[in-house]
Amino acid sequence: MSLMNAKQYEESLRKLNFKIYMFGKLVENPVDDPIIRPSMNAVAATYELAHSPEHEDLVTATSHITGKKINRFTHIHHSTEDLVKKSKMGRLLGSLTGCCFQRCVGMDAMNALSMTTYDIDQKYGTQYNKHFLKFLEYVQENDLVCDGAMTDPKGDRGLAPHQQADPDMFMHVVEEREDGIVVRGAKCHQTGAVNSHEIITMPTISMREEDKDYAISFAVPADTEGITYILGRQSCDTRKREEGTMDRGNQIYGGHEALVVFDDVFVPWDRVFMYKEWDFAGQLVEQFASYHRQSYACKAGVGDVLIGATQCIAEYNGAQKASHVKDKIIEMNHLNETLFCGSLACAAEGHKEPSGTYYVNTLLANVCKQNVTRFPYEIARLAQDIAGGLMVTLPSEEDFRSPEVGKWVEKYYKGNADVSTEDRMRILRLIENITLGTAAVGYLTESMHGAGSPQAQRIMISRQVNMNAKKRVAKKLSGIDVDE
Amino acid sequence: MWMSKKRRIGLKYCGGCSPRYDRVQAVASIKRRLEDRVEFVSYEDRDVEGILVVTGCSTACVDLTPFEGRLVWVVTSEQDVEGFLKNICKIS
Repeated sequence: MSLMNAKQYEESLRKLNFKIYMFGKLVENPVDDPIIRPSMNAVAATYELAHSPEHEDLVTATSHITGKKINRFTHIHHSTEDLVKKSKMGRLLGSLTGCCFQRCVGMDAMNALSMTTYDIDQKYGTQYNKHFLKFLEYVQENDLVCDGAMTDPKGDRGLAPHQQADPDMFMHVVEEREDGIVVRGAKCHQTGAVNSHEIITMPTISMREEDKDYAISFAVPADTEGITYILGRQSCDTRKREEGTMDRGNQIYGGHEALVVFDDVFVPWDRVFMYKEWDFAGQLVEQFASYHRQSYACKAGVGDVLIGATQCIAEYNGAQKASHVKDKIIEMNHLNETLFCGSLACAAEGHKEPSGTYYVNTLLANVCKQNVTRFPYEIARLAQDIAGGLMVTLPSEEDFRSPEVGKWVEKYYKGNADVSTEDRMRILRLIENITLGTAAVGYLTESMHGAGSPQAQRIMISRQVNMNAKKRVAKKLSGIDVDE
Repeated sequence: MWMSKKRRIGLKYCGGCSPRYDRVQAVASIKRRLEDRVEFVSYEDRDVEGILVVTGCSTACVDLTPFEGRLVWVVTSEQDVEGFLKNICKIS
């Protein structure tokens, strides 16, 4: 089965034996939990679209291992066209779900590992790439979701992994056995973790020889014994437990993050992709981060939804003809398309690595993500400006349905006579959801810190621009002697 | 009962990342206007006289190499729809 459909994906999750905690309680049935389920729906969209004639050109690819048609989220990029289609797929899914669909992180981890495992083998004569390709084929054949788990808790940021007071602040090896290793530690902020079949871990920073016990990468089934998930809270999350659905904003989709604890988890050798090769930790981090910085084309997709909602509320308010409203919406589109430009550019300027995998232009990927740390905030600000204060003072759906006061809500929150009060309330709730509700986790703060905080991209930009060439031309054109 | 045999054309969409017009509606309109004459089937079906490729913008990023040597019509806008309809009627 190299292409599951949405229903099959949902059923596959039901077979997993997750240990998930939320609000201090064990979640018995995560798939049907009202807080988790919208995030499952968003991942399910990646399966549904692979079967849709209108979208399969982006959401499917041909496996370089088996030659079979597979979901692009399990594909290793083998051309710049593949990289461009990845960017377009991200925008497409963001524009249809209005949230984070969680599946890109595993794709980015696998593409990075396809290169790093190959390079480690070339230097040390190890077998990691062979192990990785076996794992990849299993993922492609079964159309699995992988969580790409990088971020360690990190403890004291001023100390290296081996210097931490608590060694578990970075994932590390606690036992080496004949058949594998036992690891301990945790991964924070794991997007889509409880919607995943497999967890792929990677080191979180460059390392020195003293840190070699922390230089590990591996993949395990997501319900492996010893793994516990603790769901992160999102602003307005418990609205999903309310009887009505209007106040959720997004009626169908959502996202989630979790703290994933590895309490002495066994990993067989054939699932280990890096073991104490400390000198490759930095490369794996950089390759994963660059791919993931490209992945933020998805935010242009979410931006499409927010811009659409903003145009609707302008019309529902009767303000759509005001020149400043029109101009603000133009500005939102300008910023949104600029986000997309960065992702497309780093893909189109990609190149082939020795492993055969195509890798993005890392300077442009960092520029793309740097824009993402800023523009969604401005787009959200403009959306709130046009929506008006009602977005945050609107009574609840229960008041709207109330036999006592519903008539007043209906009467006094009517805008354009051709639009129902309920529709006006619904679009305001969607704008609220994306700009300060559950979806703001993905659209705003994740845009800031996901795939590395803004300073990480600035360091990469400063390292990669050719400053000497810029100076040389400036000097030449201004008549300053240039030493050749 | 005698029935005239409909022409068969394969249909292929681009992925639709950011379409400039409603591709699906455009195809629905084409199908409606040709319903007596043309049956649209999957692009993977080999028993077709050609492939209609419908893309959301003029970039037309669909890979056409699988269709090499075959008749291909590419529609990239609402205006192209009329051109395709004229073309297909001329051929018949």
